[in-house]
Amino acid sequence: MASVELQNISKVFGGLRVIDNLNLTVPDGSFTALLGPSGCGKSALLRMIAGLEQISEGRALIGGVDITNEEPARRKVAMVFQSYALYPHLTVEENVCFSLSLAGMPKAAQKERAAGVAKMLQLESLMARRPAQLSGGQRQRVAIGRALARNPEVFLFDEPLSNLDAMLRVQMRLELTKLHKDLKTTMIYVTHDQVEAMTLADQIVVLEKGKIQQVGSPWQLYNQPANRFVASFIGSLGMNFLPARATPSGQGATVALGDSTRIDLPLRMTAAQPVELGIRPEHLHLVAAGTGDIAGKALLVEYLGNTSYAYIESAFGQVIVEADGSESLETGPPWG
Amino acid sequence: MTAISNPSARRINHAAGALTALNVLVAIFWAFPIYWVLVTTLKPEQDIVRPGIDLWPDRLTFDAYTYVLFNTQIGQWYLNSLVTAGSVTFAVVLMSAAAGYAISLLEFPGRKLLWWLILASFMVPIPALIVNHFVLMSQIKLLNTWAGVILPQLLAPVTVMIYKQFFDSVPKEFREAAVMDGATQMQLLFRLYLPMNWGITTALAIITFIGAWNQFLWPFLAVTTQDKMNVTVGITQVTDAFGVKYARDLASAVLAGLPVALVYLIFQRRVTQAIMLTVGIQG
Repeated sequence: MASVELQNISKVFGGLRVIDNLNLTVPDGSFTALLGPSGCGKSALLRMIAGLEQISEGRALIGGVDITNEEPARRKVAMVFQSYALYPHLTVEENVCFSLSLAGMPKAAQKERAAGVAKMLQLESLMARRPAQLSGGQRQRVAIGRALARNPEVFLFDEPLSNLDAMLRVQMRLELTKLHKDLKTTMIYVTHDQVEAMTLADQIVVLEKGKIQQVGSPWQLYNQPANRFVASFIGSLGMNFLPARATPSGQGATVALGDSTRIDLPLRMTAAQPVELGIRPEHLHLVAAGTGDIAGKALLVEYLGNTSYAYIESAFGQVIVEADGSESLETGPPWG
Repeated sequence: MTAISNPSARRINHAAGALTALNVLVAIFWAFPIYWVLVTTLKPEQDIVRPGIDLWPDRLTFDAYTYVLFNTQIGQWYLNSLVTAGSVTFAVVLMSAAAGYAISLLEFPGRKLLWWLILASFMVPIPALIVNHFVLMSQIKLLNTWAGVILPQLLAPVTVMIYKQFFDSVPKEFREAAVMDGATQMQLLFRLYLPMNWGITTALAIITFIGAWNQFLWPFLAVTTQDKMNVTVGITQVTDAFGVKYARDLASAVLAGLPVALVYLIFQRRVTQAIMLTVGIQG
């Protein structure tokens, strides 16, 4: 087990700065997710920790030891790739033992280590098979097993569940959570799927254009987003942003939405100014026309079983409202 | 069972039948010389020169084979061919794999230049170099030795190109996973890239072996004594002071080609694959 520290890290690809002066601490034993849209630099960051990409500026420490220029194999990290990268010509057991065999470990010790890994990940019946004879979920478990066999201080996962179907993804999420609970090893997990990040991680790092937007627990990211990007990125449909006007009042500020709605918020401000009011779809409720704060018509209703999403065209622009799935909603009639 | 009643289906059926018949005819036309050689080797010499065409020998005899096997140095020629063709195959595959790996995956100064040189060398026909090879081998005193026969045959830009192409197509995650597992460049080549492309290696090895076994011009020039000759050169020595002996000459040719024919029959699929790879590269 070890903490990971990134100090003033930058990565430049042919003049393009994909990571810019980034500082991050991954505490010892934590499950940290690097979350962000495609091209935000999260994979580049993981690959720099792994040693697969050179760090252009800054330094990286694992367990307090500077590994900035260390060979990947000597960093005590193991990586699970998106494509699993299982060696197709080797059996599951040989895949699991590959790093041990390269390190010159005696065969008997290798077999013993492989048996321990197989037991932990329920791979016993698959040890003689080749990767082509395995299902997606089994391959994923073997890839984790191969990483586990190295006994690393830090596990790195590069979007490992993205090739699995929805059902298997849920199952593998549970298995990863259980694995982290059992091993208590530091894990860094790259994903663009916020559900994966929210369910697996105890710390999430939100990245955009090579910069950290916020670091926090899933609860903090959802309830106290640091900026508009985090607010819009976290949550299944993102946040509604409505144009409003805020004026100082007493200890806080009063935000006026249109002519009739006033909301008191704990904001510190000295003068009145236009603002954007962010409201999550689940914090809005549909009410009969003329009785609410925002009037509009439903342009589209998405029915998801337990819940429905109504896309309302209002004077403030498009507003998404999450409604109870038991209500029968129709497009057309006015609400609010 | 249903009878074909559709006229267009019947027409297609007739056309397919005619094509098959034509195929069989062409195959017979192609195979007849081989049949004729085999039949001739099994006839007594007097029957061969008798006027007329005997499609099947009146008297079967293995005299021509026993003569070639027991009165010439064919055993030594086989050994020479086996050693030189085997060495060429081993060295060509090993060097081409290493060169293909280096050009495909390693970063070093002059990599592109080296690649262009290999491409350029592919465009020079081997017979154009034969005088230079002869002079060089003569200067380093390797004429009439196995090494002298082997060394000029190690120029194999096509195999380097095929390996490079295949190594290029291996997803980089395999390499990265192995690097993280602690693999060195040699381990990457011999424990990952070569085994992952084993089919290509066997195909290239077989076709290189066949090519080296069938080599005639260079071994003919590089060797002057019978005990160092390859089987392809050695059979030219099966002559007789009292005229041409067709059965003996053809029996020696059959014996010379037999190992290659066997290799081809056993590894048919791989040879075809190798030819397609080579053609793909050349085309």
